[in-house]
Amino acid sequence: MTEEERRAPDPSDLELVQRARSGDDAALGALAKRHHAAAYRVALGFVHEDDVAQDVVQDAFLRAFRGLVGFRADASFRTWLLTITANEAKGALRKKGRRKETALEDAAEVRSEEGGPAHDAIVRQEAERARRMLEQLPEKQRLSVTLRVEEGLSFKEIGEVIGSSEGAARVNYFHGIRRLRELME
Amino acid sequence: MSEANTPHCGDVRELIPDLVAGRLPAAEAARVNGHVKTCTDCRAELDLVRLLHATRAEVPAGLLDRITRASIARRPARTWWGISAAAIAALALGIGIVSDDASAPGAEVPVFVREAEEGEIWLSDDGLVAGAPALDDLSDEALLELLDELTNVSTGGGA
Repeated sequence: MTEEERRAPDPSDLELVQRARSGDDAALGALAKRHHAAAYRVALGFVHEDDVAQDVVQDAFLRAFRGLVGFRADASFRTWLLTITANEAKGALRKKGRRKETALEDAAEVRSEEGGPAHDAIVRQEAERARRMLEQLPEKQRLSVTLRVEEGLSFKEIGEVIGSSEGAARVNYFHGIRRLRELME
Repeated sequence: MSEANTPHCGDVRELIPDLVAGRLPAAEAARVNGHVKTCTDCRAELDLVRLLHATRAEVPAGLLDRITRASIARRPARTWWGISAAAIAALALGIGIVSDDASAPGAEVPVFVREAEEGEIWLSDDGLVAGAPALDDLSDEALLELLDELTNVSTGGGA
């Protein structure tokens, strides 16, 4: 990498989309690298199984990349991708016929940001509880909490993903947080 | 009014996820931290958000590689990628094609709206299931009132 490349700011999603449209495979890879984690966690929130969530995310990216040619400059690639991911996840659930209840232990590993086995055990126990409570929230509340807390989306972006206004997304988030706190008490 | 519900609670709670993720500028972080030290309600919310954030699912190591390989292997022929979006849109309009690809982002109607109309997503009205009002039907003023209630009414933690 040259000094000039090191100093250059990261390209925006829109720039990457434009490069990908021109057949730049590296741009596709950069978009995937930037957004695959958020897409995976959104998918996992629906399907609860790691292998199914990975399939969902792959399919979502394929659909998104196939549709790049018509992507509007005023749209957000991230919210568009996450909307596709949510829809793919719902499709996967419909194929299964029912929403399978899966223990947290069967899902992906959770991680603690502080050290120590005792602390990790407590965090894990509380986290399992919180995650189970999160699953009890209505879909839009759950997605609003997940997208705000885990992915840092703005309420405007969350609204785009869940198909609501910015105000409704904000209310869904605070409803969800309040319900979680009530359930955790 | 108790210390748990100062006038700043609503503002602070909106910023808690950014504080936890380290996205706030230092001055803003200090302001939020200063508030939660004296507000039991916001402190409880901070603890919950911190727990959720710290225990997010780990992304499988091979996922990125899998996506990248599949995307490159299955992308459309390169010649088509060079054609501008406008040309594609004009072609589609000119010959009356309506794409059935729900991921097409150029459509006037957002994908989620179109699919909702087709009954494919949001099959249940979350608000009704939850006993909450149907939020999308509320005016901005009504949403603000509801938000005010949510962020200023104690959940039992300290009011």
